[in-house]
Amino acid sequence: MDFGSFLAAPEIKIRIVTYRDIFQDKAMIENRFGEEYRDRSAIIKLDAADLKQLNVKKGDTVILSNSFGRIVVKAEESGYDTPHRGLAYMPNSPWSNMLVSDETGGTGVPKFKDISVTVTSAKGEKVTEFKP
Amino acid sequence: MEKNYYVCTGCGLLCDDIEVESEKNIINKVYTACRVGVAHMKEVRGEAGFRVDNAPVDEATAIREAASILKNAKNPLIFGLGTSTDEAQKLAIELARKTDATLDDTSSFCLGPLVEALLQDKIKTCTLDDVRNKADVIIFWGADPSDSHPRHLSKHSYFPRGSEKQRGWEEERTAIAIDVRKSHTAKICGNYFFQIPPEGDAEFIDALIAALSGKLPKTSYNYPPKKILELANILKGAKFGVIFAGLGLIYSLKDMEPVFRLMKALNEKANFQLVPMVGHYNMRGFNENLYAETGYVNRVKFENGTVKHGPEYSVVESLKAKTVDAALIIGSDPLSSLPRSVSKNLLEIPVISIDPCETLTSKHSKVYINTAISGVESGGSATRMDGIKVSFKPVVETARLSDEATLKKIMEAL
Ligand code: SF4
Repeated sequence: MDFGSFLAAPEIKIRIVTYRDIFQDKAMIENRFGEEYRDRSAIIKLDAADLKQLNVKKGDTVILSNSFGRIVVKAEESGYDTPHRGLAYMPNSPWSNMLVSDETGGTGVPKFKDISVTVTSAKGEKVTEFKP
Repeated sequence: MEKNYYVCTGCGLLCDDIEVESEKNIINKVYTACRVGVAHMKEVRGEAGFRVDNAPVDEATAIREAASILKNAKNPLIFGLGTSTDEAQKLAIELARKTDATLDDTSSFCLGPLVEALLQDKIKTCTLDDVRNKADVIIFWGADPSDSHPRHLSKHSYFPRGSEKQRGWEEERTAIAIDVRKSHTAKICGNYFFQIPPEGDAEFIDALIAALSGKLPKTSYNYPPKKILELANILKGAKFGVIFAGLGLIYSLKDMEPVFRLMKALNEKANFQLVPMVGHYNMRGFNENLYAETGYVNRVKFENGTVKHGPEYSVVESLKAKTVDAALIIGSDPLSSLPRSVSKNLLEIPVISIDPCETLTSKHSKVYINTAISGVESGGSATRMDGIKVSFKPVVETARLSDEATLKKIMEAL
């Protein structure tokens, strides 16, 4: 393994806000184990400046990890007009739920829409699969 | 010509104007529905089936096994039911009572507190028909119906001509979005999109309340006071205002007090109602049915004829604390929809999955019963997101059991 490049890969901390997407919902109904649902779920929308700092191009895969899980998803540029460095967006799915904390303060309500993770380039590693 | 309309059970809107063309129990065309509704009604169905330990079995074996799991459990969890009919929900409540179960649904980690407040008359609410006919100021707060309830704006809240709104959205309605990101709905709202930081909702509410009474609105994130004052002015002029409250709002609040404060302040100056953006077609029905039975909308534990209630009986806390020793999951896929850090505990207990489609949860269940899609393959009644009762008939016939029939059989086998 090439440790040099491993150490050199830039890493940033981000906060993920999840949302719903009609195309993704439709894909889930049609086949929740299918490619379209995966392609519309396993993505993260980052600020262009964050992509640059990560040294990652649109469409490359990135690793999102925290103490609850680790997933590989595709990086996209959000395209929002207001900058949002350090904040990224993901459709709500089994992928985002891999990273949601079990810490609820006893309220029974997890923070589905507010997830803190570290992002780094996945260097070509494939998107995480949820196969039955 | 008399038309034959069906109801779509694809989301909490329960659109009742759907036309279909079907032949030999296969739906070929769906008219009027949105893309989610069309996909829902044309859902591809695999083989009907019953499984125990991932091997195909006959109906009697699956039912017997399910009953024995429930019988042997000290504290089974019954969860789901947001996409079940009222009739199935009532049976599930009875089953929970019989088996001393913990009973909860998705409202437990989404809109439950707001539905409860509506049922307890703590917040003024209205129907979607009122909105269509009368609403002049519409706020989508942490809600993006263009994605979650696709026909919301076109059928009810913004675009249609209503009986008292003949000039429509161009002149007579103002749509406002308050959200952490520019959603599809926010784009439609144009200049009336107010972007706030994550978890900034409570502060924004208090700033808005200040602005409503002419005080300078302040937030720690320095939201331009002028914009909040402008918003307050629009709201003050509302003759029939409505807030559609979504998960973005709920998840950022510790409790519902800020919402109560805002509704009070708005109704001192204008006329405002609130409608929660219930996603599953009959989640509200579950809340109402359980409320009628027990006085609680969710998170209950039955024990020797009594009912206990609290966060410790929520699906999340009871799985997390491993207080439940079996699970009956109806029309839900917690292995996908709950944090894996919590749902992984389901893998340690026997699970019965009753669902029209294969899910991660059904694949990991000890017993799986593939049921009819309610609204498409079986009929019944449900409560729309605004509290209106809707009955529906099946579009096609199926040999699959409905949720209701399945629960009845399990109950008999107990
Ligand atoms: S808006 Fe909802 S109920 Fe109406 S057609 Fe679409 S999915 Fe069905």
